[in-house]
Amino acid sequence: MIRDLMKPAERLKAYADGSPIDRLPCVPIVGNIAARVIEEKVSSLRNNGRLLARAHVAAYKRFGYDGIRIFTDLYVQAEAMGAKVRCPSDETAYLEKPAVSNTDQIDAIRPIDTPKSGLFREHLDAMERTLEAVGKEVPVTGALTGPFTNASFLVGTENLVRLTLKRPRAVHRLCEVSLETSLRYAEAILKTGCTPSLTDPMSSSTLISPKQFREFVLPYLTRLVDYIHGQGKAVTLHICGKTHPVWESMADTGADCLSIDNDASLLAAKSKVGSRVRLMGNVPPAAVMLQGSPGDVRREARRCVSQAHDNPRGYIVASGCSLPTETPFANVDAMMDAVREIGYPVNEISPVDGNG
Amino acid sequence: MELNANAEIFQGLSNAVVDMDEERTVSLAEMSIELGIDAYLTINNGLVTGMMRAGDLFEQEEYFIPELLLCSDAMYAGLSVLQPHLKKETEKLKSRVVIGVIEGDTHDIGKNLVKIMLETSGFEVIDLGRDIPPRSFADEADRSGARIIALSTLMTTTMDGMNEVVRILERNNRRNRHQVIIGGGPVSSAFAKRIGADGYAPNASDAVRLVKQLTGGVER
Repeated sequence: MIRDLMKPAERLKAYADGSPIDRLPCVPIVGNIAARVIEEKVSSLRNNGRLLARAHVAAYKRFGYDGIRIFTDLYVQAEAMGAKVRCPSDETAYLEKPAVSNTDQIDAIRPIDTPKSGLFREHLDAMERTLEAVGKEVPVTGALTGPFTNASFLVGTENLVRLTLKRPRAVHRLCEVSLETSLRYAEAILKTGCTPSLTDPMSSSTLISPKQFREFVLPYLTRLVDYIHGQGKAVTLHICGKTHPVWESMADTGADCLSIDNDASLLAAKSKVGSRVRLMGNVPPAAVMLQGSPGDVRREARRCVSQAHDNPRGYIVASGCSLPTETPFANVDAMMDAVREIGYPVNEISPVDGNG
Repeated sequence: MELNANAEIFQGLSNAVVDMDEERTVSLAEMSIELGIDAYLTINNGLVTGMMRAGDLFEQEEYFIPELLLCSDAMYAGLSVLQPHLKKETEKLKSRVVIGVIEGDTHDIGKNLVKIMLETSGFEVIDLGRDIPPRSFADEADRSGARIIALSTLMTTTMDGMNEVVRILERNNRRNRHQVIIGGGPVSSAFAKRIGADGYAPNASDAVRLVKQLTGGVER
């Protein structure tokens, strides 16, 4: 087996500078697999900064990927604003009830001034602990849910998308209070020394039109990205689902790296926005990483590298989205190993040469 | 003369649905009743045609989910005006479909779209809602005699619940009475095959095609 010759932070810096590197950066977005690595229940991590940090440090050490993202689920901000979240003992938390059921109550929703409640505190604590443990050698980010997606957790997705056409001002208000909460949380994340990493799945073209993206998503993401840039940090924006109609708008937010899922073509993304942003993705999380064999994973990793390694602003091999919790460790290893075998600079890749 | 008036109402209704205009849909539906136009024809040639056009626009990426939902709001508003006036004999026996989102998942827009398009195509849909335990699908299908059980999930964590529905049907010797179809982000036709489901559809229009194919049309 090939070993890494550089630490992630070193590799990423050299890659950005155009200096020699041992391999392309690679981030299987492990999500709650981290709980499996330390053999704890998924729900026990959510409200326990110490355990959440221990899980992510252990997962990083186990797999050796190039970025830690402190993440349990998308509802941390919305829950503080009144949404009800259900936490099954050993599965990812999910939204049980939006903050308000009646759209007349939208005006009563308030942003969070200081992210001091328990859940925020535990996540921020996890970020601090992780930084302290491995922050010198690997970038650590804190997951931040985008304003439009957060708005969908406040009134319910179906309500929100109806409102985009019926009462656009109500949607703007929801995005505005969500943005304010996001900015406060971003500030706290930055204070720990971590960088916020943005996720905004509800803004994909699977749900809303590119025109609505420009009206309800772009302005708020732009303000968030501007703020983080103002603090001297680069930003990754992840949107899963169909995104090809909005790649240019995603780049317009100012984000430095776009993370796209398997419902998108890397080749097309490269030609459309590759000179403006770094790309990451798009190994299929369910069909390949969860259900495939290590050989399937290798083939997919090689396909992604062959399509995007020459992206003008760079490429990070990654899963298209957070990996399902039950993804076999062998498949995560296979993804890392495939990238190690390919090495850098990337020479001719035969896409079928995946002897997993 | 009368034919023209009918055609005008039908076209107007179809346009009102496509234009997402609930008020206009309701007032045209009322007008159609006042003119004594057959409610069944009005539904089929007006509302359903409009919803089909909206579905086409959705497939062509002219419309997205917000537009489609407002079209369906208009269609259902018109439907509630017309339905009480349906003559009994024109109410055909329809194939039933039990639909819902698997336990552990509350994403239901995809499921709702499939339901809308199935109803538009003349199927009777029993909507169990979201976050539904596998057993409830089997029980409801048995109770209602539904041919089709349609399962949806957007989460990888809940895919196993689909498997469980098929297993429950097998255990109860009910597997040959119901056909199970699945849809949603993380699943695929390969997954459908693996769990022994009868079909997979990647979107609402394909779900309608699949159900038609499995039931041999709308009539039971």
